[in-house]
Amino acid sequence: MPGPLIEAKDVTVRFGYGSEAIDAVRNASIYVNANEAVGVVGESGSGKTTLARVVVDLVQPTAGQILLDGVPVIHAGSRGGFPRADRWKVQMVFQDPYSSLNPRQRAWESVAEAIQVWQRVPARVARERALELLRSMGITEDQAGRFPRALSGGQRQRVSVARALAPRPQALIADEPTSAIDQSAQAHLLNLLRRIQKERGLALLFISHDLGVIRYLTSRVYVMKAGEIVEWGPTERVFQQPEHPYTRLLLDSVPGRRVVRRTAAVVP
Amino acid sequence: MTATVTPLLQVEDLSVAFRKPGGRLLPVVDKVNLTVGVDRAHGVVGESGSGKTMLCRTLIGTLRRHGAVVTGGRILLDGQDLARADERAWRKIRGRVIGYVPQSSLASLNPVLSVETQLVEAVTVAGRTSARDARAEALRLLELVRIPRAKQVLGQRSHELSGGMRQRVIIACALAPRPRLLIADEPTTALDVTVEHKILELIGDVRREFGMSLILVSHDLAVVDEVCDEVVVMYAGASVEAGNLERIRPEPRHPYTRALRISRVDSAHPGQDLEAIGGEAPSLGAWPSGCRFWPRCPMAQDDCRPDGQPPLAWFAGRWTACIHADLMERP
Repeated sequence: MPGPLIEAKDVTVRFGYGSEAIDAVRNASIYVNANEAVGVVGESGSGKTTLARVVVDLVQPTAGQILLDGVPVIHAGSRGGFPRADRWKVQMVFQDPYSSLNPRQRAWESVAEAIQVWQRVPARVARERALELLRSMGITEDQAGRFPRALSGGQRQRVSVARALAPRPQALIADEPTSAIDQSAQAHLLNLLRRIQKERGLALLFISHDLGVIRYLTSRVYVMKAGEIVEWGPTERVFQQPEHPYTRLLLDSVPGRRVVRRTAAVVP
Repeated sequence: MTATVTPLLQVEDLSVAFRKPGGRLLPVVDKVNLTVGVDRAHGVVGESGSGKTMLCRTLIGTLRRHGAVVTGGRILLDGQDLARADERAWRKIRGRVIGYVPQSSLASLNPVLSVETQLVEAVTVAGRTSARDARAEALRLLELVRIPRAKQVLGQRSHELSGGMRQRVIIACALAPRPRLLIADEPTTALDVTVEHKILELIGDVRREFGMSLILVSHDLAVVDEVCDEVVVMYAGASVEAGNLERIRPEPRHPYTRALRISRVDSAHPGQDLEAIGGEAPSLGAWPSGCRFWPRCPMAQDDCRPDGQPPLAWFAGRWTACIHADLMERP
């Protein structure tokens, strides 16, 4: 049986120096298999975004390493980061659809650029493939011709997903992709992510503070608090029988849960 | 709609528009109705662009600062119509009778003043205490909003506080004049889920303690459901469904409310797609003719398209703007 596609081993990220130093991530180990959707859930300051950024080589770990197909590609302290030849394998979708697209590029141009670079095809072919990819994300040709400011948050985020898929990656890291968009657009994007994860057999690492989203999308989950992973396991097990008190606190805080109790309490 | 008690606030067919160059008007709130009883909690739910924030701004009289005007309808507070009130009249009401908790707690606290200075200002402006007692009152307010180590926090500035603590300070400021109505516009949107939970609990508790009425604005039906008795759902400037949550929660009678409920991830069936609402909410100035929701509505029929946004009508124990409400199934 093949090992995990991507793995973070004993990763620590320390910000600041001396007595000011804090560990944003401490001794965190996670892995994602091919064809598996894995969640990282935690609140702001838990280190979940930093951990995701280490995996895609946007943040240097202070300790630990990142393995791709069992081969170490990032070591703490080593310069250079992800080998150029492997970079296409792991792509990322960012939290803020308003700042992650180039405002001066039309939607299709953002995607075509990535296709041209990664698939090494002429501009004309790249444009066709970009439009095709965007269409499969539910972006019409008319919308593809617009600048990001003329698209809604949900549309922008779908363009970001298309751009991340341009290199035909094996792993997709999504950092809170639905937290800045409206609820009706959120359902659309989640359906889309679930579909492409299954169709493409992607290793999906999904970072979110939203327990409902994590439960819907992932089969395994890590719960982070103050830089550490406090609980992990199959998503359904963690939701139904949380072992760590913090996980229980998170689950109890979800809006709507209390309503169920309140209503139940009213009925004698 | 209880007819026996006079409501505290009654908004009738309120319309608001942005004033564009050349005198052109761009409608943003369209004939919205809202009745808030004494000691009641009322939710306003809508997505971005639905007009909920402009509705709030109308109710605290700050429309003009945002380049908008009331174009129709009435806002009755204790029988006084505020729709045409001038700034002088609003100054007696804003902050005093109607308190306001804005969305961004970071932007609404002064970064160079201590928490104490700002609270003392809120207390003295409210005119309830002498300057000498104001400091004691400031401390009492911080304790009321359950800030631990309140004495220490008094000396701190906003950047030293967490998002949840800042929001508590804002709530304390808003409570200083003992308003009869508190308007909270997305008060928990930027907060973590555990903090959100505590802030909602706090808002609910102080509301009951003060016998205050509340308008809680949110994009999230579940958040409103935590705290409120009644709700009005807004879409593209219009109120599309309004009434008691006990009725609307189990059985929405407008397709948009229903969509908001069933597109939530918590109502997903394992392995199945979420029920997404197709299309996009219309932008300002591009509202469709007929029912605003018909281009995205799964049950739209030909007669939904002409005749402008349907007014709210009483049906199955709540107000709905859907002319086919009788055809809807329980989610």
